[in-house]
Amino acid sequence: MERPITQATGHNNNIVIVFEDRVELRSGWQGQNTENVKLRDISSVGVRGFVNVTLTIQENTGRVYRLDRMALPDARRIKSTIEQQKSRASLYE
Amino acid sequence: MRRLALLTVTTLLLVLALPALAFAQDGPTVADLSLAMDTMWVIVAAVLVLFMQAGFAMLEVGFSRMKNVGSVVAKILVNLAIAALLFWAVGFAFAFSDGGALNSIIGTQGFFLAVPEGQVNSVFAGLSWTQVPLSAKFLFQVAFCAVSLAIVWGTMLERTKFAVYVIFAVVFAGLIYPLVGHWIWGGGWLGSLGMQDFAGSTVVHLSGAMAALAGTLLLGPRLGKYDDDGNPVTIPGHNMPLAVLGVLILWIGWYGFNPGSTMAAVPEIADIAVTTTLAAAAGVLGAMIMSYVYRRNVDVGMGGNGAIAALVAITAPCAFVAPWASIVIGFVAGVIMYLTLVFVDKIGVDDPLGAIAAHGMGGIWGTLSAGLFTTPELAVIGQPGLFYGGGFYQLGIQALGIVACGGFVFIASLAVFAALKATIGIRVKPDQELDGLDIHEHGVFGYPDLVATDYQNGSGNGSRQSKPAAERTS
Repeated sequence: MERPITQATGHNNNIVIVFEDRVELRSGWQGQNTENVKLRDISSVGVRGFVNVTLTIQENTGRVYRLDRMALPDARRIKSTIEQQKSRASLYE
Repeated sequence: MRRLALLTVTTLLLVLALPALAFAQDGPTVADLSLAMDTMWVIVAAVLVLFMQAGFAMLEVGFSRMKNVGSVVAKILVNLAIAALLFWAVGFAFAFSDGGALNSIIGTQGFFLAVPEGQVNSVFAGLSWTQVPLSAKFLFQVAFCAVSLAIVWGTMLERTKFAVYVIFAVVFAGLIYPLVGHWIWGGGWLGSLGMQDFAGSTVVHLSGAMAALAGTLLLGPRLGKYDDDGNPVTIPGHNMPLAVLGVLILWIGWYGFNPGSTMAAVPEIADIAVTTTLAAAAGVLGAMIMSYVYRRNVDVGMGGNGAIAALVAITAPCAFVAPWASIVIGFVAGVIMYLTLVFVDKIGVDDPLGAIAAHGMGGIWGTLSAGLFTTPELAVIGQPGLFYGGGFYQLGIQALGIVACGGFVFIASLAVFAALKATIGIRVKPDQELDGLDIHEHGVFGYPDLVATDYQNGSGNGSRQSKPAAERTS
Protein backbone atom coordinates (compact mmCIF):
# COMPACT_ATOMS: atom_id res chain seq x y z
CA MET A 1 0.00 0.00 0.00
CA GLU A 2 1.23 3.46 -0.91
CA ARG A 3 2.51 5.30 2.12
CA PRO A 4 1.21 8.84 2.72
CA ILE A 5 3.69 11.61 3.46
CA THR A 6 1.40 13.33 5.91
CA GLN A 7 -2.26 13.56 6.83
CA ALA A 8 -4.66 15.45 9.07
CA THR A 9 -8.27 15.47 10.25
CA GLY A 10 -10.73 18.27 9.60
CA HIS A 11 -14.28 18.61 10.89
CA ASN A 12 -17.13 16.21 10.06
CA ASN A 13 -15.18 13.08 9.06
CA ASN A 14 -13.03 15.00 6.58
CA ILE A 15 -9.49 13.77 6.15
CA VAL A 16 -6.72 15.17 3.96
CA ILE A 17 -3.84 12.90 3.00
CA VAL A 18 -0.79 14.01 1.01
CA PHE A 19 0.91 11.42 -1.19
CA GLU A 20 3.97 11.94 -3.39
CA ASP A 21 1.99 12.92 -6.44
CA ARG A 22 -1.46 13.82 -5.20
CA VAL A 23 -3.66 14.96 -2.35
CA GLU A 24 -6.50 12.71 -1.30
CA LEU A 25 -9.53 14.24 0.37
CA ARG A 26 -11.73 11.72 2.12
CA SER A 27 -15.16 12.44 3.47
CA GLY A 28 -18.33 10.61 4.40
CA TRP A 29 -19.30 8.55 7.38
CA GLN A 30 -16.77 5.78 6.74
CA GLY A 31 -14.56 7.68 4.33
CA GLN A 32 -16.45 6.36 1.32
CA ASN A 33 -16.08 9.58 -0.72
CA THR A 34 -12.61 10.22 -2.09
CA GLU A 35 -11.43 13.15 -4.19
CA ASN A 36 -8.00 12.87 -5.77
CA VAL A 37 -6.25 16.10 -6.65
CA LYS A 38 -2.99 15.86 -8.60
CA LEU A 39 -0.28 18.07 -7.21
CA ARG A 40 0.23 19.68 -10.62
CA ASP A 41 -3.45 20.70 -10.62
CA ILE A 42 -3.17 22.58 -7.34
CA SER A 43 -2.72 26.29 -7.82
CA SER A 44 -2.61 27.38 -4.18
CA VAL A 45 -2.99 26.19 -0.60
CA GLY A 46 -4.17 28.60 2.07
CA VAL A 47 -4.31 28.49 5.85
CA ARG A 48 -6.65 30.89 7.62
CA GLY A 49 -7.23 31.26 11.36
CA PHE A 50 -5.28 30.51 14.50
CA VAL A 51 -7.11 28.01 16.69
CA ASN A 52 -9.85 26.60 14.47
CA VAL A 53 -8.02 26.82 11.16
CA THR A 54 -9.50 26.58 7.67
CA LEU A 55 -7.34 24.90 5.05
CA THR A 56 -8.21 25.74 1.43
CA ILE A 57 -6.83 23.87 -1.54
CA GLN A 58 -7.51 25.51 -4.90
CA GLU A 59 -7.26 23.77 -8.25
CA ASN A 60 -6.21 25.35 -11.54
CA THR A 61 -9.79 24.93 -12.69
CA GLY A 62 -10.95 27.22 -9.90
CA ARG A 63 -12.42 24.47 -7.76
CA VAL A 64 -11.76 25.03 -4.07
CA TYR A 65 -11.70 22.43 -1.29
CA ARG A 66 -12.14 23.65 2.28
CA LEU A 67 -11.38 21.79 5.48
CA ASP A 68 -12.63 23.51 8.60
CA ARG A 69 -11.64 23.46 12.27
CA MET A 70 -8.18 22.03 11.77
CA ALA A 71 -5.32 22.53 14.19
CA LEU A 72 -2.80 25.14 13.07
CA PRO A 73 0.24 22.84 13.04
CA ASP A 74 -1.72 20.20 11.09
CA ALA A 75 -2.85 22.70 8.45
CA ARG A 76 0.61 24.23 8.15
CA ARG A 77 2.16 20.80 7.78
CA ILE A 78 -0.26 19.91 4.97
CA LYS A 79 0.41 23.23 3.22
CA SER A 80 4.17 22.99 3.49
CA THR A 81 4.19 19.34 2.40
CA ILE A 82 2.12 20.12 -0.69
CA GLU A 83 4.36 23.07 -1.57
CA GLN A 84 7.47 21.03 -0.93
CA GLN A 85 6.24 18.22 -3.14
CA LYS A 86 5.28 20.63 -5.89
CA SER A 87 8.68 22.33 -5.84
CA ARG A 88 10.44 18.98 -5.76
CA ALA A 89 8.39 17.77 -8.72
CA SER A 90 9.21 20.87 -10.68
CA LEU A 91 12.90 20.09 -10.30
CA TYR A 92 12.45 16.98 -12.37
CA GLU A 93 10.19 18.46 -15.06
CA MET B 1 8.63 -23.67 103.89
CA ARG B 2 9.86 -20.14 104.52
CA ARG B 3 10.92 -19.88 100.89
CA LEU B 4 7.46 -20.95 99.71
CA ALA B 5 5.78 -18.41 101.99
CA LEU B 6 8.09 -15.64 100.70
CA LEU B 7 7.35 -16.55 97.08
CA THR B 8 3.61 -16.54 97.71
CA VAL B 9 3.67 -13.16 99.44
CA THR B 10 5.85 -11.68 96.65
CA THR B 11 3.53 -12.99 93.99
CA LEU B 12 0.49 -11.57 95.73
CA LEU B 13 2.15 -8.19 96.11
CA LEU B 14 3.06 -8.11 92.43
CA VAL B 15 -0.47 -9.03 91.39
CA LEU B 16 -1.85 -6.26 93.54
CA ALA B 17 0.73 -3.71 92.44
CA LEU B 18 0.74 -4.24 88.64
CA PRO B 19 -2.68 -2.74 87.83
CA ALA B 20 -1.82 0.26 89.95
CA LEU B 21 1.45 0.63 88.10
CA ALA B 22 -0.37 0.36 84.78
CA PHE B 23 -2.81 3.10 85.69
CA ALA B 24 0.03 5.23 87.01
CA GLN B 25 1.50 5.49 83.46
CA ASP B 26 0.48 8.39 81.16
CA GLY B 27 -2.14 6.86 78.86
CA PRO B 28 -3.69 8.41 75.75
CA THR B 29 -6.19 11.11 76.52
CA VAL B 30 -9.63 11.38 74.98
CA ALA B 31 -8.27 14.11 72.71
CA ASP B 32 -5.46 11.81 71.54
CA LEU B 33 -7.93 9.04 70.76
CA SER B 34 -10.21 11.48 68.96
CA LEU B 35 -7.30 12.69 66.82
CA ALA B 36 -6.25 9.14 66.04
CA MET B 37 -9.81 8.17 65.07
CA ASP B 38 -10.24 11.23 62.88
CA THR B 39 -6.90 10.65 61.18
CA MET B 40 -7.68 7.01 60.58
CA TRP B 41 -11.07 7.89 59.10
CA VAL B 42 -9.65 10.58 56.81
CA ILE B 43 -6.91 8.24 55.54
CA VAL B 44 -9.45 5.48 54.86
CA ALA B 45 -11.68 7.98 53.07
CA ALA B 46 -8.73 9.29 51.04
CA VAL B 47 -7.85 5.75 49.96
CA LEU B 48 -11.48 5.17 48.93
CA VAL B 49 -11.39 8.34 46.84
CA LEU B 50 -8.05 7.35 45.31
CA PHE B 51 -9.61 3.96 44.51
CA MET B 52 -12.11 5.86 42.35
CA GLN B 53 -9.28 6.13 39.79
CA ALA B 54 -9.70 2.41 39.26
CA GLY B 55 -13.40 3.06 38.74
CA PHE B 56 -12.72 5.73 36.13
CA ALA B 57 -10.21 3.42 34.44
CA MET B 58 -12.70 0.56 34.18
CA LEU B 59 -15.54 2.86 33.15
CA GLU B 60 -13.48 4.47 30.38
CA VAL B 61 -12.04 1.15 29.25
CA GLY B 62 -15.51 -0.35 29.06
CA PHE B 63 -16.90 2.54 27.02
CA SER B 64 -13.88 2.63 24.68
CA ARG B 65 -13.22 0.43 21.70
CA MET B 66 -10.68 -2.32 22.33
CA LYS B 67 -8.07 -0.65 20.14
CA ASN B 68 -7.81 2.25 22.63
CA VAL B 69 -7.91 0.62 26.07
CA GLY B 70 -4.16 0.82 26.67
CA SER B 71 -4.17 4.57 26.06
CA VAL B 72 -7.01 4.97 28.56
CA VAL B 73 -5.16 3.29 31.42
CA ALA B 74 -1.89 5.03 30.52
CA LYS B 75 -3.71 8.35 30.69
CA ILE B 76 -5.26 7.53 34.09
CA LEU B 77 -1.83 6.66 35.48
CA VAL B 78 -0.04 9.74 34.20
CA ASN B 79 -2.83 12.05 35.34
CA LEU B 80 -2.82 10.64 38.85
CA ALA B 81 0.95 11.07 38.99
CA ILE B 82 0.87 14.66 37.72
CA ALA B 83 -2.05 15.60 39.96
CA ALA B 84 -0.24 14.26 43.03
CA LEU B 85 3.00 16.12 42.30
CA LEU B 86 1.49 19.43 41.14
CA PHE B 87 -1.05 19.56 43.95
CA TRP B 88 1.77 18.92 46.45
CA ALA B 89 4.00 21.57 44.90
CA VAL B 90 1.54 24.44 44.38
CA GLY B 91 -2.09 23.34 44.09
CA PHE B 92 -2.75 22.62 47.76
CA ALA B 93 -1.22 25.96 48.74
CA PHE B 94 -3.29 27.88 46.18
CA ALA B 95 -6.44 26.09 47.36
CA PHE B 96 -6.25 26.09 51.13
CA SER B 97 -3.62 28.49 52.39
CA ASP B 98 -4.22 31.99 53.65
CA GLY B 99 -3.80 34.46 50.81
CA GLY B 100 -3.68 37.62 52.89
CA ALA B 101 -5.10 40.48 50.85
CA LEU B 102 -5.79 38.05 47.99
CA ASN B 103 -7.50 35.49 50.20
CA SER B 104 -10.89 35.87 48.56
CA ILE B 105 -9.30 34.70 45.28
CA ILE B 106 -6.26 32.54 45.99
CA GLY B 107 -3.97 31.22 48.73
CA THR B 108 -0.35 32.32 48.65
CA GLN B 109 1.51 30.34 51.35
CA GLY B 110 2.60 26.81 52.16
CA PHE B 111 4.01 25.73 48.81
CA PHE B 112 5.50 22.20 48.84
CA LEU B 113 3.65 21.73 52.16
CA ALA B 114 6.43 23.74 53.82
CA VAL B 115 5.02 25.21 57.03
CA PRO B 116 6.89 26.67 60.03
CA GLU B 117 6.59 24.63 63.22
CA GLY B 118 3.22 25.09 64.93
CA GLN B 119 1.72 27.31 62.24
CA VAL B 120 -0.21 24.74 60.22
CA ASN B 121 -3.61 26.16 61.12
CA SER B 122 -2.64 29.75 60.39
CA VAL B 123 -0.95 28.94 57.05
CA PHE B 124 -3.61 26.50 55.87
CA ALA B 125 -6.48 28.45 57.35
CA GLY B 126 -8.93 27.00 54.85
CA LEU B 127 -8.66 23.59 56.53
CA SER B 128 -8.09 24.71 60.12
CA TRP B 129 -11.57 23.47 61.06
CA THR B 130 -10.38 19.85 61.06
CA GLN B 131 -7.87 18.59 63.62
CA VAL B 132 -6.23 15.89 61.49
CA PRO B 133 -2.55 16.28 60.57
CA LEU B 134 -1.54 18.26 57.49
CA SER B 135 -0.46 15.09 55.68
CA ALA B 136 -3.95 13.61 56.06
CA LYS B 137 -5.56 16.84 54.84
CA PHE B 138 -3.30 16.84 51.79
CA LEU B 139 -3.86 13.18 50.98
CA PHE B 140 -7.62 13.60 51.10
CA GLN B 141 -7.64 16.76 48.98
CA VAL B 142 -5.19 15.50 46.36
CA ALA B 143 -7.48 12.53 45.78
CA PHE B 144 -10.29 15.00 44.99
CA CYS B 145 -8.08 16.90 42.57
CA ALA B 146 -7.24 13.65 40.77
CA VAL B 147 -10.94 12.81 40.46
CA SER B 148 -11.72 16.19 38.93
CA LEU B 149 -8.89 15.76 36.44
CA ALA B 150 -10.06 12.24 35.51
CA ILE B 151 -13.49 13.65 34.63
CA VAL B 152 -11.96 15.99 32.04
CA TRP B 153 -10.89 13.17 29.75
CA GLY B 154 -14.13 11.22 29.65
CA THR B 155 -15.32 13.28 26.70
CA MET B 156 -12.02 13.31 24.86
CA LEU B 157 -11.35 9.59 24.63
CA GLU B 158 -9.99 7.80 21.56
CA ARG B 159 -8.62 10.76 19.62
CA THR B 160 -6.52 12.97 21.88
CA LYS B 161 -2.73 13.20 21.79
CA PHE B 162 -1.04 11.86 24.91
CA ALA B 163 0.99 15.07 25.28
CA VAL B 164 -2.24 17.03 25.66
CA TYR B 165 -3.23 14.94 28.70
CA VAL B 166 0.13 15.67 30.30
CA ILE B 167 0.29 19.42 29.64
CA PHE B 168 -3.33 20.14 30.55
CA ALA B 169 -3.00 18.08 33.74
CA VAL B 170 -0.17 20.35 34.88
CA VAL B 171 -2.28 23.50 34.43
CA PHE B 172 -5.49 21.99 35.79
CA ALA B 173 -4.01 20.40 38.92
CA GLY B 174 -1.63 23.29 39.53
CA LEU B 175 -3.92 26.26 39.01
CA ILE B 176 -7.46 25.86 37.65
CA TYR B 177 -8.81 23.34 40.16
CA PRO B 178 -7.07 24.93 43.20
CA LEU B 179 -8.55 28.34 42.36
CA VAL B 180 -12.11 27.03 42.32
CA GLY B 181 -11.39 24.98 45.43
CA HIS B 182 -10.16 28.10 47.21
CA TRP B 183 -13.22 30.11 46.27
CA ILE B 184 -15.59 27.63 47.92
CA TRP B 185 -13.57 25.58 50.43
CA GLY B 186 -10.43 27.57 51.11
CA GLY B 187 -11.92 30.74 52.55
CA GLY B 188 -12.56 32.44 49.22
CA TRP B 189 -15.39 34.70 48.17
CA LEU B 190 -18.02 32.05 47.44
CA GLY B 191 -17.44 30.33 50.77
CA SER B 192 -17.81 33.69 52.50
CA LEU B 193 -21.17 34.17 50.80
CA GLY B 194 -22.31 30.83 52.26
CA MET B 195 -22.26 28.63 49.18
CA GLN B 196 -23.13 25.03 50.07
CA ASP B 197 -20.95 22.45 48.33
CA PHE B 198 -20.25 19.85 50.96
CA ALA B 199 -18.13 17.40 48.96
CA GLY B 200 -17.71 19.07 45.59
CA SER B 201 -20.59 18.89 43.09
CA THR B 202 -19.26 22.19 41.78
CA VAL B 203 -15.61 22.19 42.87
CA VAL B 204 -14.82 18.69 41.65
CA HIS B 205 -17.47 17.54 39.19
CA LEU B 206 -18.71 20.68 37.46
CA SER B 207 -15.11 21.88 37.12
CA GLY B 208 -14.07 18.63 35.46
CA ALA B 209 -17.09 18.64 33.17
CA MET B 210 -16.63 22.26 32.05
CA ALA B 211 -12.98 21.61 31.21
CA ALA B 212 -14.13 18.53 29.32
CA LEU B 213 -16.67 20.55 27.35
CA ALA B 214 -14.04 23.14 26.42
CA GLY B 215 -11.64 20.45 25.22
CA THR B 216 -14.29 18.55 23.28
CA LEU B 217 -15.49 21.64 21.43
CA LEU B 218 -11.98 22.23 20.11
CA LEU B 219 -11.19 18.56 19.55
CA GLY B 220 -14.20 17.63 17.44
CA PRO B 221 -16.03 14.30 17.27
CA ARG B 222 -14.45 10.94 16.57
CA LEU B 223 -14.29 9.83 12.95
CA GLY B 224 -17.53 8.02 12.17
CA LYS B 225 -19.46 9.46 15.10
CA TYR B 226 -21.78 11.44 12.81
CA ASP B 227 -23.19 10.14 9.54
CA ASP B 228 -23.39 12.07 6.28
CA ASP B 229 -26.60 13.79 7.37
CA GLY B 230 -25.04 14.84 10.67
CA ASN B 231 -27.03 12.37 12.75
CA PRO B 232 -25.18 10.81 15.69
CA VAL B 233 -24.10 7.20 15.27
CA THR B 234 -23.75 5.03 18.36
CA ILE B 235 -20.19 3.83 18.81
CA PRO B 236 -20.64 1.15 21.44
CA GLY B 237 -18.05 0.49 24.10
CA HIS B 238 -16.37 -2.90 23.91
CA ASN B 239 -17.06 -4.21 27.42
CA MET B 240 -20.18 -3.37 29.39
CA PRO B 241 -19.30 -5.56 32.42
CA LEU B 242 -16.07 -3.57 32.86
CA ALA B 243 -18.01 -0.31 32.54
CA VAL B 244 -20.48 -1.41 35.21
CA LEU B 245 -17.62 -2.60 37.40
CA GLY B 246 -16.21 0.90 37.04
CA VAL B 247 -19.54 2.40 38.10
CA LEU B 248 -19.70 0.14 41.16
CA ILE B 249 -16.12 0.99 42.14
CA LEU B 250 -16.99 4.68 41.81
CA TRP B 251 -20.12 4.13 43.90
CA ILE B 252 -18.05 2.52 46.67
CA GLY B 253 -15.42 5.23 46.36
CA TRP B 254 -18.13 7.80 46.93
CA TYR B 255 -18.41 6.58 50.53
CA GLY B 256 -15.00 8.14 50.98
CA PHE B 257 -15.93 11.16 48.92
CA ASN B 258 -19.08 12.25 50.74
CA PRO B 259 -18.89 10.90 54.32
CA GLY B 260 -15.13 11.49 54.28
CA SER B 261 -15.66 15.19 53.68
CA THR B 262 -16.56 15.53 57.35
CA MET B 263 -12.79 14.98 57.85
CA ALA B 264 -13.68 13.71 61.30
CA ALA B 265 -14.99 10.40 62.63
CA VAL B 266 -18.36 11.75 63.70
CA PRO B 267 -21.73 9.93 63.82
CA GLU B 268 -23.05 12.08 60.95
CA ILE B 269 -20.98 10.07 58.47
CA ALA B 270 -23.62 7.34 58.66
CA ASP B 271 -26.39 9.80 57.72
CA ILE B 272 -24.31 11.06 54.79
CA ALA B 273 -23.68 7.48 53.64
CA VAL B 274 -27.44 6.88 53.68
CA THR B 275 -28.27 9.94 51.56
CA THR B 276 -25.47 8.94 49.16
CA THR B 277 -26.82 5.41 48.80
CA LEU B 278 -30.45 6.43 48.33
CA ALA B 279 -29.58 9.03 45.71
CA ALA B 280 -27.45 6.61 43.67
CA ALA B 281 -30.19 3.97 43.76
CA ALA B 282 -32.81 6.48 42.62
CA GLY B 283 -30.47 7.71 39.87
CA VAL B 284 -30.12 4.22 38.39
CA LEU B 285 -33.90 3.87 38.25
CA GLY B 286 -34.41 7.37 36.85
CA ALA B 287 -31.98 6.79 33.99
CA MET B 288 -33.27 3.29 33.24
CA ILE B 289 -36.88 4.48 33.13
CA MET B 290 -35.88 7.31 30.78
CA SER B 291 -34.02 4.84 28.62
CA TYR B 292 -37.07 2.60 28.39
CA VAL B 293 -39.43 5.50 27.67
CA TYR B 294 -37.12 6.92 25.01
CA ARG B 295 -35.81 3.77 23.32
CA ARG B 296 -38.01 0.92 24.58
CA ASN B 297 -35.00 -0.88 26.03
CA VAL B 298 -33.10 -0.66 29.28
CA ASP B 299 -29.64 0.64 28.43
CA VAL B 300 -26.96 -0.72 30.78
CA GLY B 301 -24.57 2.16 30.18
CA MET B 302 -27.32 4.68 30.87
CA GLY B 303 -28.13 2.93 34.15
CA GLY B 304 -24.50 3.31 35.16
CA ASN B 305 -24.40 6.93 34.10
CA GLY B 306 -27.62 7.49 36.06
CA ALA B 307 -25.90 6.24 39.21
CA ILE B 308 -22.93 8.51 38.58
CA ALA B 309 -25.11 11.54 37.84
CA ALA B 310 -27.04 10.95 41.06
CA LEU B 311 -23.86 10.51 43.09
CA VAL B 312 -22.51 13.72 41.59
CA ALA B 313 -25.76 15.51 42.41
CA ILE B 314 -25.92 14.35 46.03
CA THR B 315 -22.27 15.31 46.57
CA ALA B 316 -23.09 18.97 47.31
CA PRO B 317 -26.13 18.52 49.58
CA CYS B 318 -25.37 15.08 51.09
CA ALA B 319 -24.89 16.47 54.61
CA PHE B 320 -27.68 19.02 54.43
CA VAL B 321 -30.74 17.10 53.21
CA ALA B 322 -33.18 14.51 54.51
CA PRO B 323 -33.17 10.95 53.08
CA TRP B 324 -36.43 11.48 51.15
CA ALA B 325 -34.91 14.53 49.47
CA SER B 326 -31.84 12.55 48.44
CA ILE B 327 -34.13 10.13 46.57
CA VAL B 328 -35.73 13.03 44.70
CA ILE B 329 -32.34 14.56 43.95
CA GLY B 330 -30.96 11.25 42.66
CA PHE B 331 -33.98 10.39 40.53
CA VAL B 332 -34.11 13.82 38.91
CA ALA B 333 -30.35 13.63 38.29
CA GLY B 334 -30.81 10.36 36.40
CA VAL B 335 -33.56 11.87 34.24
CA ILE B 336 -31.65 15.09 33.57
CA MET B 337 -28.51 13.13 32.72
CA TYR B 338 -30.35 11.15 30.06
CA LEU B 339 -31.96 14.20 28.47
CA THR B 340 -28.65 16.07 28.46
CA LEU B 341 -26.85 13.13 26.90
CA VAL B 342 -29.32 12.98 24.02
CA PHE B 343 -29.15 16.77 23.56
CA VAL B 344 -25.34 16.91 23.62
CA ASP B 345 -25.17 14.08 21.08
CA LYS B 346 -27.56 15.89 18.75
CA ILE B 347 -25.70 19.20 18.75
CA GLY B 348 -22.49 17.56 17.57
CA VAL B 349 -20.52 17.22 20.81
CA ASP B 350 -19.06 13.72 20.94
CA ASP B 351 -18.96 12.61 24.58
CA PRO B 352 -18.15 8.87 24.64
CA LEU B 353 -18.54 8.54 28.40
CA GLY B 354 -21.40 10.94 29.04
CA ALA B 355 -19.22 13.03 31.34
CA ILE B 356 -20.81 16.34 30.38
CA ALA B 357 -24.25 14.97 31.16
CA ALA B 358 -23.37 13.02 34.30
CA HIS B 359 -20.79 15.28 35.92
CA GLY B 360 -21.79 18.60 34.35
CA MET B 361 -25.57 18.56 34.61
CA GLY B 362 -25.40 16.34 37.69
CA GLY B 363 -23.12 18.92 39.29
CA ILE B 364 -25.38 21.83 38.36
CA TRP B 365 -28.53 20.09 39.58
CA GLY B 366 -26.83 18.92 42.78
CA THR B 367 -25.53 22.36 43.62
CA LEU B 368 -28.95 23.93 43.00
CA SER B 369 -30.72 21.19 44.96
CA ALA B 370 -28.84 22.25 48.10
CA GLY B 371 -30.58 25.59 47.73
CA LEU B 372 -33.92 23.77 47.50
CA PHE B 373 -33.78 20.90 50.00
CA THR B 374 -31.39 21.96 52.79
CA THR B 375 -33.15 21.54 56.13
CA PRO B 376 -32.88 24.19 58.86
CA GLU B 377 -31.37 21.68 61.30
CA LEU B 378 -28.61 20.60 58.91
CA ALA B 379 -27.77 24.00 57.43
CA VAL B 380 -24.43 24.40 59.19
CA ILE B 381 -23.27 26.52 56.24
CA GLY B 382 -25.50 29.04 54.51
CA GLN B 383 -29.30 29.19 54.79
CA PRO B 384 -32.07 26.56 54.65
CA GLY B 385 -33.39 25.70 51.22
CA LEU B 386 -36.34 27.19 49.36
CA PHE B 387 -38.66 24.30 50.28
CA TYR B 388 -37.93 24.81 53.99
CA GLY B 389 -38.79 28.48 54.07
CA GLY B 390 -35.28 29.73 53.46
CA GLY B 391 -36.35 31.84 50.52
CA PHE B 392 -34.36 32.34 47.35
CA TYR B 393 -31.15 33.58 49.01
CA GLN B 394 -29.38 30.21 49.17
CA LEU B 395 -30.64 29.20 45.72
CA GLY B 396 -29.24 32.45 44.33
CA ILE B 397 -25.85 31.87 45.96
CA GLN B 398 -25.77 28.34 44.56
CA ALA B 399 -26.60 29.64 41.05
CA LEU B 400 -23.93 32.32 41.36
CA GLY B 401 -21.38 29.68 42.31
CA ILE B 402 -22.30 27.54 39.31
CA VAL B 403 -21.98 30.45 36.88
CA ALA B 404 -18.74 31.76 38.41
CA CYS B 405 -16.94 28.44 38.81
CA GLY B 406 -18.31 26.85 35.64
CA GLY B 407 -17.60 29.96 33.60
CA PHE B 408 -14.08 30.38 34.95
CA VAL B 409 -13.10 26.75 34.40
CA PHE B 410 -14.61 26.74 30.90
CA ILE B 411 -12.81 29.91 29.81
CA ALA B 412 -9.48 28.98 31.41
CA SER B 413 -9.59 25.47 29.96
CA LEU B 414 -10.64 26.76 26.55
CA ALA B 415 -7.62 29.07 26.58
CA VAL B 416 -5.27 26.22 27.46
CA PHE B 417 -6.72 23.84 24.87
CA ALA B 418 -6.72 26.62 22.23
CA ALA B 419 -3.05 27.31 22.92
CA LEU B 420 -2.31 23.59 22.61
CA LYS B 421 -4.32 23.32 19.39
CA ALA B 422 -2.48 26.27 17.88
CA THR B 423 0.96 24.96 18.85
CA ILE B 424 1.28 21.17 19.05
CA GLY B 425 -2.26 20.18 17.96
CA ILE B 426 -4.57 18.22 20.22
CA ARG B 427 -5.74 15.46 17.90
CA VAL B 428 -3.90 12.41 16.59
CA LYS B 429 -3.54 11.77 12.87
CA PRO B 430 -6.47 10.03 11.16
CA ASP B 431 -4.67 6.73 10.59
CA GLN B 432 -3.68 6.67 14.26
CA GLU B 433 -7.30 7.22 15.25
CA LEU B 434 -8.52 4.51 12.90
CA ASP B 435 -5.87 1.98 13.90
CA GLY B 436 -6.27 2.83 17.57
CA LEU B 437 -4.14 4.81 19.96
CA ASP B 438 -2.69 1.75 21.67
CA ILE B 439 -0.35 0.77 18.91
CA HIS B 440 0.55 4.28 17.73
CA GLU B 441 0.91 6.11 21.04
CA HIS B 442 2.02 3.30 23.33
CA GLY B 443 3.45 0.62 21.07
CA VAL B 444 1.25 -2.18 22.40
CA PHE B 445 -2.27 -3.42 22.04
CA GLY B 446 -4.55 -3.47 25.07
CA TYR B 447 -5.56 -6.97 23.97
CA PRO B 448 -2.56 -8.30 21.98
CA ASP B 449 -4.29 -11.39 20.64
CA LEU B 450 -7.59 -9.85 19.76
CA VAL B 451 -7.99 -6.37 18.42
CA ALA B 452 -10.51 -4.75 16.09
CA THR B 453 -9.58 -1.49 14.40
CA ASP B 454 -11.46 0.64 11.90
CA TYR B 455 -10.98 0.28 8.20
CA GLN B 456 -11.65 3.24 6.04
CA ASN B 457 -11.66 3.21 2.26
CA GLY B 458 -8.42 1.38 1.75
CA SER B 459 -6.53 3.39 4.31
CA GLY B 460 -5.21 2.38 7.65
CA ASN B 461 -3.58 -0.82 8.69
CA GLY B 462 -6.47 -2.24 10.63
CA SER B 463 -9.43 -4.37 9.85
CA ARG B 464 -12.94 -4.63 11.19
CA GLN B 465 -12.33 -8.36 11.49
CA SER B 466 -10.47 -9.71 14.46
CA LYS B 467 -7.36 -11.49 13.30
CA PRO B 468 -4.94 -13.82 15.03
CA ALA B 469 -1.72 -12.07 15.99
CA ALA B 470 0.37 -14.21 13.67
CA GLU B 471 -1.74 -13.35 10.64
CA ARG B 472 -1.81 -9.69 11.57
CA THR B 473 1.94 -9.35 11.78
CA SER B 474 2.70 -11.37 8.64
